[in-house]
Amino acid sequence: MTDAEHLLAALTDHLVRLGRASTFPLTQVKIQAGDVALEVVWDPAGANGHAAAPVSAPAAVAPPEDPESTLPDGSFTVCAPTVGVLYAAPEPGAPPFVQLGDIVSEGQQLAILEAMKLMNPIDADRPGRVARILVPDAAPVEYGQALFVLEPC
Amino acid sequence: MFETILIANRGEIALRVIRTCRELGIRTVVAHSTADADSLAVRHADQAVQIGPPAARHSYLNAAALITAALQTGAEAVHPGYGFLSEDRDFAEMCAAYGLTFIGPPPSVLARLGDKAQARSAAVASGLPVLPGSTGALESGTEAKEAADEIGYPVIIKAVAGGGGRGMTVVREPRDFLRQYAHTRATAQAVFGDGRVYVEKYLEGARHIEVQVLADNHGNVVHLGARDCSVQRRRQKLIEETPPPALPASVVEAMGAGSVRSAAQLGYTGAGTYEFVVDEDHNFTFMEINCRIQVEHPVTEMVTGVDLVREQILAAAGHRLTLRQQDVRRTGVAIECRVNSEDPTRDFLPTAGTVHEFEPPAGPFVRVDTHGYPGMRISPHYDSLLAKVIVWAPERDQAIARMDRALQEFRVEGVSTTTRYLRDVLAHPLFAHAKHTTSLVDEIGGRTL
Repeated sequence: MTDAEHLLAALTDHLVRLGRASTFPLTQVKIQAGDVALEVVWDPAGANGHAAAPVSAPAAVAPPEDPESTLPDGSFTVCAPTVGVLYAAPEPGAPPFVQLGDIVSEGQQLAILEAMKLMNPIDADRPGRVARILVPDAAPVEYGQALFVLEPC
Repeated sequence: MFETILIANRGEIALRVIRTCRELGIRTVVAHSTADADSLAVRHADQAVQIGPPAARHSYLNAAALITAALQTGAEAVHPGYGFLSEDRDFAEMCAAYGLTFIGPPPSVLARLGDKAQARSAAVASGLPVLPGSTGALESGTEAKEAADEIGYPVIIKAVAGGGGRGMTVVREPRDFLRQYAHTRATAQAVFGDGRVYVEKYLEGARHIEVQVLADNHGNVVHLGARDCSVQRRRQKLIEETPPPALPASVVEAMGAGSVRSAAQLGYTGAGTYEFVVDEDHNFTFMEINCRIQVEHPVTEMVTGVDLVREQILAAAGHRLTLRQQDVRRTGVAIECRVNSEDPTRDFLPTAGTVHEFEPPAGPFVRVDTHGYPGMRISPHYDSLLAKVIVWAPERDQAIARMDRALQEFRVEGVSTTTRYLRDVLAHPLFAHAKHTTSLVDEIGGRTL
């Protein structure tokens, strides 16, 4: 093996270990042998069924400009139909309507959007798997703001 | 004083309000539609909240979204600008119910003056002259026709809920009356949700002159002189100036005193405008009251040195007017031209699109209130006002020359504008000699000379 091939094999081993250690799926990998580079991108919102993952964390990390990038074809975004406050659970302390990785059916409620004391249900207009939760509980949202990304299942 | 004001409007007036707020140390929040996400108002405001899609009824007319945005951003007051919800009594009431100060008159005054028939009765009660007309809304075509026949033609049929120059029809021949009556009713029902109309004598070849008033919550009212807004096309104002040329100061004072008396009687607060028609013998008659800041307010600001938006905000915050009538000094002449993104060669069709180049005029005594910038996209969803060019000069001739120079400097590429047309109106002998009336633009026609 050449030096470059050695380096590449070593990098790949590193990558596999990193992948196993992470609770989040890797969405992007870049390996460069010359000058040694290893670039890994996680998808923190894509952790399957991790109840421990705080719902509010992804909002800060997820790229807001294109929430559907790196997701499978047919993924879709659920946006805020009005300005208001988003609630993830039916009442304070109750479990959230949905968690990452949940499979939801068409019409299933994902959240509540409160505007002037009116509780507007936010429903999935198609079935899918919750791939990203983009807004933390009790956050103010604007009209058209992306709230959830669902991927086909 | 307020710490944060939400601006429930768009375009140049949103920017105008932001500027005064900044001078007063007030934080601004702009509520905007998706079409205005890149607007100058959004860029200049301390905070922006997207409240809805481009269609105004889901954004700038969506009271619930506006109030939600105000509450979320900690605003204590809402400035409604002009148009949209600026004279909407329900919106003013909702603001109050949610603890927000509506920067404008109280809902009860808006309700009374929003009904044109009631506003007319109120004017009569405070001694303002009105044109012969029906005393209230008319119940039937027959009743309306009888009223019109008695008044004498031409008459104007006006929607009780109308405003902004819409919902009016002039009838010159008795035989046309019933058809026009039915048409105006149907239009009023469709546009304003209220089909009631009343009938008034119509003055041909009159001037449109309006008085600016300011009132606080403590019963103090002053007027800041009058503006001539006779250059109109289809009842949309194109050029406004102050003082009204060739109108004796005594007439302006009489109109001003009458307006102040009426505003005090009504319990009016904030900035307001009394609109009158003035005939060739300088007889004035009341038309209506606009319960908001007007598009053409800058001409008054230029000759008085009073920032009307600042006075509006101070009055809404409960401050007493610091200005007494004897303190109001008016100096020189100010003219405003409304530059619209319209094509005068195609019957003033609004032109949407991208503004590639935008170089507004500048120089001595020129003020430009605009939301335009190079690269701006003009959305077909809103009115076509692109910029207001305002000039000041000691004398009218000089002001006209200065305005012509300013309009000549104004470079806009990408959309059609009315600058060339406005210059033609300025150059018209009737305008130059101040012999013009509201029929001037019809006489010139849409063509570029």
